[in-house]
Amino acid sequence: MIYLLKLNDDQNPKSTTSIIRSQMKRKLIKSLPVFLLFLFILLANTSFAAMIDVARLWKDTGFHNLQMGNLLMICFGILLIFLAIKFEYKPLILIPMGVGIIIGNIPFAHEANYPLGIYKEGSVMNYLYMGVLKGIYPSLIFLGIGAMTDFSSLISNPKLMLLGAAAQVGIFVTFLGAMILGFPLQESGAIALIGGADGNTAIFLSSQLANGLRTLPDGTIVQNLIGPIAIAAYIYMALVPIIQPPIMKLLTTKKERLMRMKPPRSVSRREKIAFSLVGLLLTAFIAPGALPLLGMFFFGNILKESGVTKQLAGTASTILIDIVAILIGVTVGASTQADVFLKPQSILIFFLGAVAFMVATAGGVIFAKVMNLFLKKENRINPLVGSAGVAAVPDSAQVSQRMGQKEDPTNHLLGHAMAPNIAGVIGSAITAGLLMGFIL
Amino acid sequence: MTPLLISVNPGNIDQNALVITIVGYVTVFLVLAAMVILFIEAHRIQDYLANRSRKKESGKEIQEKQELQKITGDENAAICTALYLYFTELHDEEKYVMTVRKVSRTYSPWSSKIYGIFNNLKHW
Repeated sequence: MIYLLKLNDDQNPKSTTSIIRSQMKRKLIKSLPVFLLFLFILLANTSFAAMIDVARLWKDTGFHNLQMGNLLMICFGILLIFLAIKFEYKPLILIPMGVGIIIGNIPFAHEANYPLGIYKEGSVMNYLYMGVLKGIYPSLIFLGIGAMTDFSSLISNPKLMLLGAAAQVGIFVTFLGAMILGFPLQESGAIALIGGADGNTAIFLSSQLANGLRTLPDGTIVQNLIGPIAIAAYIYMALVPIIQPPIMKLLTTKKERLMRMKPPRSVSRREKIAFSLVGLLLTAFIAPGALPLLGMFFFGNILKESGVTKQLAGTASTILIDIVAILIGVTVGASTQADVFLKPQSILIFFLGAVAFMVATAGGVIFAKVMNLFLKKENRINPLVGSAGVAAVPDSAQVSQRMGQKEDPTNHLLGHAMAPNIAGVIGSAITAGLLMGFIL
Repeated sequence: MTPLLISVNPGNIDQNALVITIVGYVTVFLVLAAMVILFIEAHRIQDYLANRSRKKESGKEIQEKQELQKITGDENAAICTALYLYFTELHDEEKYVMTVRKVSRTYSPWSSKIYGIFNNLKHW
């Protein structure tokens, strides 16, 4: 307003603003020495303390604490995100896991005692990690899977369940393999579950057997292998379409791959409910250790099949399972801090995991061929369905379908392959319960 | 990082591990085999029960048909009127959840609020 008073009537607004600017500049220049003097006095008084603060701030940054291991793991996390986006390999789990790996490997000053790291008691990530350590997340995921699963194919052709049992050979071969490579009994049991091709079961068992909290008979503490085991299991699950087909092709003839199976009969709702109840009782009585998994699995299925709890089944199979998938992915990813993950044992676990997957696939295919020796011609099983005995639902069943269609585009094996696939989930959970019972 | 030392020693497999492997695998097999047998048999039992109930129902149907023939014209008219009134009074079931759907239209300069015919006028 003061400036505007100085304007003449004939001056236009453009020139008015330029005048205002120039006057403001002049004022600022005049006040600059005073400002600098003030700043100098301030710095003179606080320079020492401020310098200490800046140095501490630098020490707290990730750049100062960065180590080669962290950098490697961050790159690995980015690679998982890339694989999930580019090739759509299990994106629902690999993206949270990849981001989790990045979060878990951001370096910080451990001596500063900040509640930041996933293993630091009281930190946010530590609270979320409790869901993994206590086996909460796998159980909830099983509830969601149960609410999504349709047992029709399994009930209409029950003998396909045996393929799910046969594929569990992968677990036991890995168990012995881990023992041969020098892992103690508890760690071997946890590693073995990679062969079941079910990430959740593997996480559940490793959280019970190899969580870095238990002690071995000789007094040493069991290693925390949850991170390496979970990552190996999920990576191999994502690689099912690459790992399985060569083995399936190698073990079958063209004639066998062309084999058509009897279409499944329709299954009543009563039969489905009965299956869930009988399955729950039978498995839980034999392997009580699997109760958190199989109890929730069959509970979820009863919610679905009862027909009167559609809302609950809908929540369990959509929102709940999504939330838990986010949490389990991020926390398991974050648990792979470089100092915990980058160990020779992790490489061995990855190697054992690959062997386990191959053995499990071969076990299913070979057992299907053995079964065919005893079955009538019209009841014979296409051996490609056998590979779906590994619990990677529904990826391995989709592989059977694709392999079958490659030979004969009109031959649909997906419906049949879902039966051993679900039996594989049940079988691997029973195995986890049995291993827990034996080892703990 | 510690150097990678692989020690392959089959001697690490003790008796305990062997027992776990054999008993574990056999148990998994037996549990699933038990379920197979149970459901093959359950299917047979269900078929048998279904056949029995079908036979019973067919016997009942004959009786019901005979009873239905005894209904008078007045009674039929009363039933029809009741059904007609019941069905004409029915409303469609409505959802109790109200949703406001956000409709986003694609941008068009014709409906733009940024550009107008007065844009080039200078406001003094």
